[in-house]
This record gives sequence, C-alpha cells and structure tokens, in this order.
Amino acid sequence: MNVFSSLIQKQAVDEIEKCNEYTSKFGLTLSRQDAIRLVETRNSSLKSCGRIEFGGGVIDKLIKEFCDSPYISKHNYVETLNELIEIFYFYKNETLDLISDDELIKYMKNSFDGKCQGSLELLAERELDKMARNLRYGYVPDYSEDEVYKEEDEDDEY
Amino acid sequence: MTNIERQHIINSNKLSGEFYFNSILQEAYTCRLLNENDLENIQMQCINLLAYKVERYNMGESSSIRVETAQSIMKSNLYTIGLYLKSLLDPDQAVVELKTVDIFELYERGRKLINTKFKAVKHIYHMVKNNKINTPNHSYNSTLSEKGIGIFFKSYNLEYEAHEIPASIDYQLCNPVSDLIGIEYIEKYLENLYLENKFCMNFAPENIHHLLYGYDKGYKDLLINIFEQVLTASIGCSLANRNIRELNISLDDIQSLYNELIKYDNHTLMLKINSAIEDIFEELNIKNPTLQRYIEKSLPKVVSNIENALKLNTLGKVFITSVNPNLQPKIHFDSGVKMEDEEYRKLIEELLICRYSSDKLKLIKEKVKSFDDLEDVILDAQLEEDELVSLFNTFGDVEIAAMIKRYPFASDIQAVELSEAEQKVRLLLENYIKQLPTDRQNQILQIAEHLIED
Repeated sequence: MNVFSSLIQKQAVDEIEKCNEYTSKFGLTLSRQDAIRLVETRNSSLKSCGRIEFGGGVIDKLIKEFCDSPYISKHNYVETLNELIEIFYFYKNETLDLISDDELIKYMKNSFDGKCQGSLELLAERELDKMARNLRYGYVPDYSEDEVYKEEDEDDEY
Repeated sequence: MTNIERQHIINSNKLSGEFYFNSILQEAYTCRLLNENDLENIQMQCINLLAYKVERYNMGESSSIRVETAQSIMKSNLYTIGLYLKSLLDPDQAVVELKTVDIFELYERGRKLINTKFKAVKHIYHMVKNNKINTPNHSYNSTLSEKGIGIFFKSYNLEYEAHEIPASIDYQLCNPVSDLIGIEYIEKYLENLYLENKFCMNFAPENIHHLLYGYDKGYKDLLINIFEQVLTASIGCSLANRNIRELNISLDDIQSLYNELIKYDNHTLMLKINSAIEDIFEELNIKNPTLQRYIEKSLPKVVSNIENALKLNTLGKVFITSVNPNLQPKIHFDSGVKMEDEEYRKLIEELLICRYSSDKLKLIKEKVKSFDDLEDVILDAQLEEDELVSLFNTFGDVEIAAMIKRYPFASDIQAVELSEAEQKVRLLLENYIKQLPTDRQNQILQIAEHLIED
C-alpha cells in the first residue's frame, strides 16, 4: 500500500508542476518543494476532515482559478494556496457535500476577490461560513438576511 | 459404497459468511494459493473499483468523499464480490477466479446475482405473507407487514449499500440467522420463517392461540417464537399420546410425563424425542425434506429446554397447558348512559366553585349516574388528592376494578398513551389500592382480570 500511495503522491506533484506552464504568464510558479508541500497540506487536511480523495484535481483547479487574482503575487502565492486547500476541505464537510468542487472553488474565488478583498480570514470565517449555513438551511449559497431587510426598508419608503 | 468427496485446499468451514471476500483472501494466503504479489494486485484493483464507484456516487462533482461513506461503499463492493465467489462450486475455484478474472468483472457478476436474488427474495416475501399464521402477536405481524420487512424492498441500495439490511425485523426465529448480511440475511430469514409458518399451518389458528394464551395471557405483546412453542407442544402431545393437532396437554399428563422422562438419561431422552418427531411427521404428513431438516435443526434447543425443566421440576413451563380465554369466567360491566353535555358542564361549573369537599362528594354522588361521567369528573373537576381518595372510598370493588382497567399500573408500558392528568390518577389509584387490606386487594385484582366492558 505504501508503494501505491507514494506513487500517487508523485503523480500529484507532477500534475501540480505542470500547472506552472499556465500560471507563469501571471508571474507565478511553484518549485518542486512547494508542490510537495501543497500535496502534504492536502493529505493532512483530508485526514483532519475525515475525508479521502481519489485522483488529484482539486489543487490544480484551485491554482488555475486563483492565479489571476489581483490579491495574489509571487510573495504570498504558496502560503495562500496552502490555506485555500485547508479551507476547501473544511467547507466540503461544512456544506455536507451539497456543493460540487467546481462550485465551491468558484464561490471562494468570487468572495476572495470581491467582498473579502484578498483576506483569507474573512473568506473562511465570514463568507464561507455564511454560505455553508445557507446551504444547510436549504437557502441558495449567497442568500443574505441583510439584503432581505434592506429590500423591505426600501419598500417602506414608497 | 461410500461417497467420495473432492479434497479442498481451503477449508470452507473457516470462511466467514459475513466477510467472505476478506476471509477467502486470508485463507488463500495462509494456504499459499495466493502470494503477496497477488494480494497486492487484488487490493489495487479493489481500490480502483472503489475510486470508480466513489466517482459515480459523487456524480463526478466531487473528488473527495467522507471516510465513513467510502468505507460503506468499499464494504458493499466486497460484499457483492463475495456473494459471487460464494456462489461458485468451492473456495478453491473462487481463488482461481480471483487470480484470473478482473475485480471489476467479478463485481459485475456479483451485481447480477444480487439483482436475481432481490427478485427471488421478493417472491419469497409474498409466499411468506401468503402462509402467514393468523395470530394477534404484534412482533410477528409487524415484522411481516409493509412497514417491517416490506421496507427492505423500497430502501435496499444494491449499488452502494448492498451489505446493509434496511428493514425493521423484531420477530425472533427459532433458528436465528447469523453470519449473514445484506440480501442473504433477508433471504435466509424469510426462508426460515416460511418453513416455520408451513409447520404451524398444520394446526388450527385457535389451537395455537389457546396454547400461546396458556403460555402468557399477554403473549400478543411478547417477543416469542410461535413455531418453537407449537413444536414443543406437539412433542409434548406426542409423548403423552394426545392428539397432536389439538396441541392440548393436561396438568396430569405433564406430571406423568415428568415421572416417565426423569428416569431417562440424555441419550435415551433424545431417542424418545426423535421418535416423537417421527410420529409428528407421520401424523401431520410432513414429507418436505427441507422442513424436516429445519425441525430437526430446532430440536437441540427444545431438548435442552426439556432437560433443564426436568432437572428443575418445571416441566409445566415447557409443555404448556392450553387455555381457552372464552371459557374463563367473565364479569360484564356496563358503565351506564352518559348525561347530556349541557348538564355535565353545569355540574363541572358547580363543582369548581364548590368550597367544601363533603359538598363536592355529595354533588357527585347525587348527579353522576354513569361510570364514564364519573371518570370525566375525576379528570375535569380538579379534585384534590384527599378528595379523590374519599371518592375512591365510596366505590365498590367492581368500580375500583373498572378504574384499574382504565388506569392499569401493572407495568409502565400499559400506560404510555395516558395523558399527564391521567397518569396522576393512575398513581393515586395505585397508592390507594396498595393501602387496602390484602384480601380486598386480591379480590379487586381478580375482578379486574375477568372484567369486560360492554
């Protein structure tokens, strides 16, 4: 089994390295060491969230989605990716698997670039928390009580 | 000429019915039919199969999955493959297939088998429902109903949870199904139940009812096996030379059976019971070999019950004397005509403003002429505890017995449907009766037992 898992690790690291071709035009690249670290983060996140994954994919998707963010530069690239991976698996559980990988990544990117203005803390603690709660209660992901109140206020004015 | 059996390398007795796949791998490895490379290859294929199934489970939308879900899918996969391997001639053949055939292919064959089994089991379920015993036993009826085993045919998920048994099964078989899971469990359970029913069909439902009523008056709420009681009773009848079909054996018969059987050692006792079984087969014209085998398989349990009863001189607890509830003395109780609602409301209003307990009692005595009204008044008039006790004091034995019928306190289960106010009355009644002289208590309880409300 160890041979098997180390083979998979190697494959995953290779795939991440391949993303450099795409991200280099944004001035972002990962060294082999960085790629290994990302895979390690993924493994530890999966373990702590009580999940298992077949085939890679999620790290590549995160890289390709986030590389054009105005809030990511070569100085915080690896750190941000590490955190994003942790956040991703945490919220897979919190959303009770009600949301697909692609949708979750897209939502993370929109919030990160938009409301959170590059703050991973706001993304994890506020936006995604709200979204997960909405999904669990059967609302659409970006449902907001504040907006409902705002609309009611506006109605009152007329 | 003796039978020549092929020698197998793997001893099939060592294999688990529940985890067949795992145990066959283990045994094959121990017997050196599989080496480490083979094992690793099979494991890899199993993981690939799991990955494929997980992808289908997630419908390609998620690459990761909760560990518990993955474990369940893996168990389901291995169970399905195990089911196919079990269907092969012998375990050695199964190992050859494991070595030569792709795991995906084995899984597909298992799936086909489960599909066929599912249809077959559905058919057996209908057969069992058709030869159902007519009995008021709740666990028996509910297990066979659509809300019991019936759930299985709606909820069984052969794709991802083939090893689960999503059904509500409370009824205990005489030969419980062990070492099987998933569809195999249900199949075996229904087969056994069918045989048990088939045997019981030889007796009139009222004879079975009288026998079980003799076993316990409240047998409809008990988790008992009907077949075991009927079989034991028929053995008793055969030993005592009574009509087997009647299932009735008198106390004298039991005493003389005790005097006779106590002399035998275990071996002779077994022989005696075996010959009784032969009698039963002949008398009831049981020729079906499967049913015969099932009955013989149930014998050790019955025989050990008899042996223990002989040692403890409690044979009367094993061989039951039938009791016909219709022949027992009964006291009919008519609660009388209820008063008009208007009149009742007036009475309650009056009772609520009444200041003295003695006046309240007087009022109740004067106005209330029906037992149903009296019961309503107890709940509605907000009487104090001592007022209720004084009211009870005015009751005769039959009235108190009728109260016990409505507020039974023998066990808490009887009173689950009572409201809070009713529970209070029940508790008070219990305390009231406990402080009565023992003679009167017994008399009241006896009346309550025979009381039937019209």
